[in-house]
Amino acid sequence: MHEIHSHNLETPPIDTVKCVKGFDLIKAEYPVYLTDESKLSANPFDYLFFPKNECELAAVIKEMAQKKVPITVAGARTGLVGGSVPQQGAVISLEFLDSVEGIHHDPLSGEWVIRAQTGVSLKALDGMLRIKKFPTLEASTDQNCLDELQRFKEEKNSYFYPPDPTEMSASLGGSVVTNASGARTYRYGPTRAWVRGIRVFLANGEYLDIPRGKYFASPAGRFTVYDSKGGSSSFIIPDYSLPRTKSTSGIFTAPQMDLIDLFIGSEGVFGIVTRVDVALLEREEKISIVTFVDSDEQAVDLTIALRENPLLQLDFLEFYSSNALNLLRERQGREPSTVGMPPLSPEGASAVFFEMSFDSHSESIDFSALEQTISNCGASFERSWVGYESRELDRFKVFRHLIPETVNDIISERKKSFPGLHKLGTDLAVPDEHLREMWKMYKKGCTAGNFDWLAFGHIGNNHLHINILPRNMEDQEKGLTLYAQFAKKAVEFGGAVSAEHGVGKIKAKFFRLMFTEEQIAQMKRVKTAFDPDSILNPGDIFGN
Amino acid sequence: MKIVVCVKQVPEVTNVQVDPVTGTLIREGVKSILNPFCEYALDHAVRLAKAQEGIEIIAITMGPPQAREVLLRSMELGADEGVLVSGREFAGADTWATAQTLAAAIKFAVPDFDLIFVGKQAIDGDTAQVGPEIAEILALPQVTYGVEVTLGENLRQVRVKREIDRGFEVIEARTPALVTFSKGEIVRRVPSLKDLIESRRKPIRIVGAKDVAIPEEELGLKGSFTQVVKVFPPQEKKSGHVIQNVDAETAARQIVDFLKEHRFVD
Amino acid sequence: MLIINHKNCTRCKLCVTNCPFGALSFEGDCLQVSELCTLCGACVNVCRFNALRIERKQASKEELAAYKGVFVWVELEEHEGKCAPRKVAFELLGKGRELADKLKQELTAVVIGDERASGYEDLARYGADRIILCRHELLGYYTTDGYTNVICALIAQKKPSVVLYGATPHGRDFAPRVAARLKLGLTADCTGLDIDADEQLVQTRPAFGGNIMASIITPYSRPQTATVRPNVFPACEPDNTRKVVIEEFPVTLKKTAIRTRVVERKLIESDGQESIEDAHVLVSGGRGCQKAANLDVLREVATKLGGVLAGTRAIVEQGWIPHTLQVGQSGTTVGPDLYIAVGISGAIQHIVGMSSSKTIIAINKDPDAPIFKTADLSVVGDGCEIMPIVNRLLDKKN
Repeated sequence: MHEIHSHNLETPPIDTVKCVKGFDLIKAEYPVYLTDESKLSANPFDYLFFPKNECELAAVIKEMAQKKVPITVAGARTGLVGGSVPQQGAVISLEFLDSVEGIHHDPLSGEWVIRAQTGVSLKALDGMLRIKKFPTLEASTDQNCLDELQRFKEEKNSYFYPPDPTEMSASLGGSVVTNASGARTYRYGPTRAWVRGIRVFLANGEYLDIPRGKYFASPAGRFTVYDSKGGSSSFIIPDYSLPRTKSTSGIFTAPQMDLIDLFIGSEGVFGIVTRVDVALLEREEKISIVTFVDSDEQAVDLTIALRENPLLQLDFLEFYSSNALNLLRERQGREPSTVGMPPLSPEGASAVFFEMSFDSHSESIDFSALEQTISNCGASFERSWVGYESRELDRFKVFRHLIPETVNDIISERKKSFPGLHKLGTDLAVPDEHLREMWKMYKKGCTAGNFDWLAFGHIGNNHLHINILPRNMEDQEKGLTLYAQFAKKAVEFGGAVSAEHGVGKIKAKFFRLMFTEEQIAQMKRVKTAFDPDSILNPGDIFGN
Repeated sequence: MKIVVCVKQVPEVTNVQVDPVTGTLIREGVKSILNPFCEYALDHAVRLAKAQEGIEIIAITMGPPQAREVLLRSMELGADEGVLVSGREFAGADTWATAQTLAAAIKFAVPDFDLIFVGKQAIDGDTAQVGPEIAEILALPQVTYGVEVTLGENLRQVRVKREIDRGFEVIEARTPALVTFSKGEIVRRVPSLKDLIESRRKPIRIVGAKDVAIPEEELGLKGSFTQVVKVFPPQEKKSGHVIQNVDAETAARQIVDFLKEHRFVD
Repeated sequence: MLIINHKNCTRCKLCVTNCPFGALSFEGDCLQVSELCTLCGACVNVCRFNALRIERKQASKEELAAYKGVFVWVELEEHEGKCAPRKVAFELLGKGRELADKLKQELTAVVIGDERASGYEDLARYGADRIILCRHELLGYYTTDGYTNVICALIAQKKPSVVLYGATPHGRDFAPRVAARLKLGLTADCTGLDIDADEQLVQTRPAFGGNIMASIITPYSRPQTATVRPNVFPACEPDNTRKVVIEEFPVTLKKTAIRTRVVERKLIESDGQESIEDAHVLVSGGRGCQKAANLDVLREVATKLGGVLAGTRAIVEQGWIPHTLQVGQSGTTVGPDLYIAVGISGAIQHIVGMSSSKTIIAINKDPDAPIFKTADLSVVGDGCEIMPIVNRLLDKKN
């Protein structure tokens, strides 16, 4: 049905909620709240709240709503588009809402679903699932809860939460409102595919409990929200079609959509998510394989071949261009122990990196389909690295992270001479059939511009991060112009301008390449329905 | 030239937890891996093999049937074959009984060995005894805590850089000899897909109690000189003062106050 | 007994020249062993033709009871031309004194070295009733064969009940060889030593990385041997009145018995800085310090507090610090007055190496880091941010 009721909470007095007042004090004692991973600077703001629970959060929202003070929500502050960077008003940090509240088996779907508050980090969640220990849950007084937990512990299998954004210190709630994705999205889909329920607080301080599969838009595309005081708010969902690729560009919409999907990926502009129910998957043993090839183009060929082979089921399919690997070759020459891997294949080689299920205990292993695909592309299965023990998989992860880390180090160094400098990275995705052309365009554009550049990313989803490292401000300007051209092309191909980073405050310009004014107006109407005074996360998605 | 590398399978997470009720180890979620120091020993051997023609590497392990996994891993990393010394009779062995068994197994399976490489210690036992004990039983010269090894020109000599607590020594010995290893500066190897596939085709021999020709009363639990009489959890230290949820400046100030209070600073 | 395989014997006479007790001789073509043989095993070790074997039968209770006395191997270290006992030797004498008193037996300090060996007065002051000197020019530097042969000969003749070694690189190198040669029980890295009601040596050590403690006895063989890490036991109060007897043990050692050659020895000492083993203050870094450059701040803080930098196995393997600064189960055991752990999670192998520190401050971003269980002051936070501020504040103090 398309009607839903919000609930009111008894709220404590606002002065019982921990609050730091005044920008000078906040800047001096809590400087980390001034920015997120985008390193965008904050404009002065007046309040920094730390609610300990949902009641305190509701108290703050009501107070700020009454005073018409804008609120910026901060989770783990790992976002790349300035989502949690305040512009004025108040910042609410959700870090203290960090309990795991329950785990249960859904008989209908056969899934184990875990209920946790927004502040639980993905890394902590993964750790708890691995050893099947949940401190807050084990202290519960609810017998049902404890019984389900016991059942979960007794299960022979181990479980994990599939979405694996590269930044595992991100908060669970944050990953939901940004519809975070990562390498494994290739097989398992983005966060959206795993969310089974949310609790979201609205701008009036009341909350909605939305399980998946209960609330759907009417045939005309309408939803109506009734509050506890007899008021109501009604809106029509936008009617544009989503790109056929990974996308975190703008609001999700689809005919007769599930209400829960409106909030997932909404970057907090409609409400504040405090609690999520997410489904888990059985852990399987995996093997990671890095195949070195002679050129970027051969890597693209190999990607397409791997993708099209029905005998292979890959969890993720990633790419490192030869200039990306050159950074590591150089670093390896200087600090071999930091890189921690054997000497990289010589110049010119790029790499394709993928993961699949594997049984290390079996007597014989059959990789013939894989061997065949690799050699058909002219590559050799001798030039590869494999690992399956978790220590080895971690090692591969550290290795992969060295690329963006080294890029950041170089930028920091260059920033010393040019304070306005920053790394340029694309986050564009295109449909499968346009991968080759898009790659050609990237390569042509970057080479012609004579830039310091490299590429890596989720090539399986045709989603590559093209990084330009500007040498000076002129380089940076030229780069930005080039990027706008890339974005336009991606949209022409039916792709997304923001495949996983979101729009936030930084990507507003690209956002407008993808959507017409009318389409943006449709999204704004939904926003107005939920947040008439526009106090939630101002500046995100829609700009000011 | 033949290099025998002794390898051991150990629990991965060495923060193994103890069940407070039964006093036994909780193995749930704990995987087994090739002992890191054994891996370094193997790596040092593989390096020699890659630099020099004609070196064969034989990985040997004593353990339950599951220990086959570390032989497979060793072969992925470059060992040419594996030897599994397994049998109920070997269970419960202390370092002496283990050394006896391995020494006898080596004499049986690879009687013409030139070198024995061993990890300096296992991360579960940490005794560092098995290597020297094997060397003694086989009457070999030994060098422990090796971090770098090279072969002499005629392959009859081995030169080992050894870690001592204030620095290094370089020790030379004639083969056959035994060397125990630490990591040194090697970068841990990663097998290729080809290495992985081939490893499953390399031979693994099984050596049992009858091959080892040691009287049964000298094997396993019966053959051990030491006896464990009690197992207990370590003493919990009293918990101290906790500083959290403050920013770096405040934390630093409180640390300096603590140092003043305890007179580490005037 | 010594079993001779005459078929294999080539009459090379290596065994005869290497026997410390002169128990072997040739009667015509046939090797003979006299009752001077103590089963020390030197001959078996030196024979290249597998002609010698020792069969040890299970000792009877009476035979075991004949083993008396506590021996402590005193490791020497060179300093300005003299070789004096290392600090760990005094710690072992402290514990040895306690054990000897309980057994009502003598405590003997065993010194192996050459003519530069010194420091006997200190050995007496710190507990020894007797000092046995094993001096030979070939013992000037540590070699496995040299030290193993001498200690085996000594033990075989003197029959002590207990032998203790410091678990230093050299101690851990030859103690297992001695145990294997004489078929003795050896317990490594003991954190506890005691005598029980049956006069057995109860050896307690951490097992499975330190998550459980195991108490071990060696009921069927003598001597009972154990290695103990530095900084685990305290030395006893010096007693200037203790009378000591000094004995010279004649050493038979031939160059042919020593099968390893020290080609080079290099000490890593940064500007005469003291070792982490002896330091009173340690500022120790782990992987949480993120990169080598961040250790500079820790070094500075350490210097300001009168101490030195140390670190975990993880950062040694990354190449950020040399192995001489490694604290932990596979590194050095330390016991400073102050230990500041920065960005160290506290894996048990590390904790086992520093838990005897008197005061421990731990800084880590993860509130559940196990290091906090041992800390007197736990700071949940980013060491990379906190330590530079601590460094700055310490400057202001001075």
